[in-house]
Amino acid sequence: MSEISEVDPLITETADRLFSQICDHESVQNAEVTGEATEIWKAFAETGFPWISISEEFGGSGGTLLDALEVLRLVGYHAAPIPAAETGILGGWLLSSSGQQLPEGVVTVLPSGSENLLVARTGDRLTLTGRGLRVPWARTAEIIVVPVEVDDQTFVASVQPGDCQITPMTNMAGEPRDTVDFNEVEAFAAPVPSDVNLRSFRFRGALSRTALMAGAIEKMSQLTVSYTNDRVQFGRPVAKFQAVQQHLVWGAQDAALARMAAESAAREANRGSGAFEIAAAKLIANQAAARATKACHQAHGAMGMTQEYPLHHLSRRLWSWRKEYGGDAEWSEWLGRIAISQGADGLYPLITGGSGVLR
Amino acid sequence: MRFTPTELTEEELELQQQVRDFLLEELPPGSHEPCLGMAARKDKDFSLKMADRGWVGMALPKDWGGSDRTAVDRFIVVEEMLRWGAPVGHHWVADRQTGNVILKFGTQEQRERFLPAICRGELGFSIGMSEPDSGSDLASVSTKAEETTGGWIINGTKIWTSGAHENDWFVCLLRTSPMEDGNKHAGLSQFLIDLKSPGLEISPIPFLDGSHHFNEVTFNEVFVPETNVVGDLGMGWHQNTTEMAYERGGPDRWLSPFSTVEQLLREARGTDLEATVADLFGELTARWWGIRNLSLSVARLIDTGEAPSVESSLVKEMGTRFEQEVIEKLVHLIDLEYSPESESLFERLLAQCVVTFPGNTIRGGTIEILRSVASKGLKGLPA
Repeated sequence: MSEISEVDPLITETADRLFSQICDHESVQNAEVTGEATEIWKAFAETGFPWISISEEFGGSGGTLLDALEVLRLVGYHAAPIPAAETGILGGWLLSSSGQQLPEGVVTVLPSGSENLLVARTGDRLTLTGRGLRVPWARTAEIIVVPVEVDDQTFVASVQPGDCQITPMTNMAGEPRDTVDFNEVEAFAAPVPSDVNLRSFRFRGALSRTALMAGAIEKMSQLTVSYTNDRVQFGRPVAKFQAVQQHLVWGAQDAALARMAAESAAREANRGSGAFEIAAAKLIANQAAARATKACHQAHGAMGMTQEYPLHHLSRRLWSWRKEYGGDAEWSEWLGRIAISQGADGLYPLITGGSGVLR
Repeated sequence: MRFTPTELTEEELELQQQVRDFLLEELPPGSHEPCLGMAARKDKDFSLKMADRGWVGMALPKDWGGSDRTAVDRFIVVEEMLRWGAPVGHHWVADRQTGNVILKFGTQEQRERFLPAICRGELGFSIGMSEPDSGSDLASVSTKAEETTGGWIINGTKIWTSGAHENDWFVCLLRTSPMEDGNKHAGLSQFLIDLKSPGLEISPIPFLDGSHHFNEVTFNEVFVPETNVVGDLGMGWHQNTTEMAYERGGPDRWLSPFSTVEQLLREARGTDLEATVADLFGELTARWWGIRNLSLSVARLIDTGEAPSVESSLVKEMGTRFEQEVIEKLVHLIDLEYSPESESLFERLLAQCVVTFPGNTIRGGTIEILRSVASKGLKGLPA
């Protein structure tokens, strides 16, 4: 397989332009109130963006994982209130990996670590009983994808939302994160190759969040630079004050750090590996989000604490995404064990070589 | 501002392996007391050995004794040296910045005289910027050079001059015409000064732990030949700013505590570190990986001919604060009472870090100045 390690610039340009047009402060705010963003999703779906990296054979748009993650970065940048990751590189990936066709609309997936399910298998049918928590946009999904391990094999089940009881819930950003109750729900399920499993799904979920977070932190940093250069106090823009400059610089650093980490992890993942890079990138994004939201809110003063100013679309998403698919503790522990197991002489080669050293 | 992810090529990875092999041979772990980053011991023999491999002044042109290598190649060598705690002090300044300055602004004669000797690892340079009344406000430099027959007469004082007592040459920012109203950056020029010049006095300014790095250098009617002016008269500020871009954002700004962390791992072998400090190692590993990627992308940018001064200021500000954070985390977690005389090497290094690392966010431009440089550059970006 040829190695494509660059993002198609046309993807960046088109997605950025699309979101700039359809995804403004009001529409994001409105989506939070109504729990859906039909117009935004429709325009997004028309471009085929949700299904990048999924083979056309299964109803996807083709293209690389790198391109799909670039789109997710822009989803985060514009705080687009749509289930892009769930439909594409998470749910779509699981469906296509198990040979199932993607539906035309929204797909969601039970996030790993959120489920408490009893599973029984009869041939290609699974019976699911239990509860899934924090399922993104389950209320508008056409299919709820449920990856499970049963009989020492990973299966991907396609659950009809109508067969479940869905209770609308939200995360801290007001994005749908619904509770899904399965009461002996029967669903078609197909096995996946061994490299697709609950562990690789967890990493992929983390990878999707690093891309979203990198975008959101960058936008937040840019918003802060612009606001502090416009806002005049004591007769000059507040960005002229050293105490404020500190916040601007810290915000910009974390934006750069998170994006670098997300893009480096995306490159490795695009080659089919990247566990080290994904873990490091999610940890970096989590911590960068914590520092940058603090710095950017401080630089905005009271204005950033209002609903009418858009900073909160970004900061509240970051606080939510920080905890999805692994918080700080999970990834630092995972990475730390690997780092320590390299021994003193192997520590630096791990930092420079990453997953390449672990293979 | 854009940091583009980059990776090492096959040739670059080969160079990395060569440097690792060299260090394993020359300084096997356990055989030497690691240095803490760029504040490394001066060991001329070691510098000569590195120069033999073509690793000193390596980014300078072959015509001047260099190897025509890239900023990324130099990054790789420097990174490996620093993480190993190698004694790179002798050639450090010449390799990082003076060679570039002379190549870029120096006369043909200066290039011939200095560049091959720098690349052979022979010459040690000091930098003369700060003065008793000029710290962060560098434009207020008042040490004067006055024209005389065939050269210049210098009077005044430079301080915080690292290594002046051991080095050979001094690159000095001096005032060649009085301060002008409205243009405080005018009237400054750069000079190459022999540290053995008559009238030049060097006296130690002991470091807080009593060690000798800093000096006060006093000029009392010191004659400097006119051939030792670097670049154009009055362009010293501009040249100096260019020089700073080489000084910032490299591995020396984020690797200083590495050998201490590595030594913890070495000495704690056999204890259950996974159960106690896994999250610490996870966090440090991730941060080093992330910052290294940023720093490497700055080197790659330099190789495309850009002068990424905002990017390198951002990396330096972040890197030096990270260095201090690493040490604070170790201090917080490790329940030992260490001192510079502890039996354990890890404890000695940690004690040294605790005492010396407050300087990391000061040297080569305080983080407050860096923030000012960087935030000016951030303005005007799209929002």
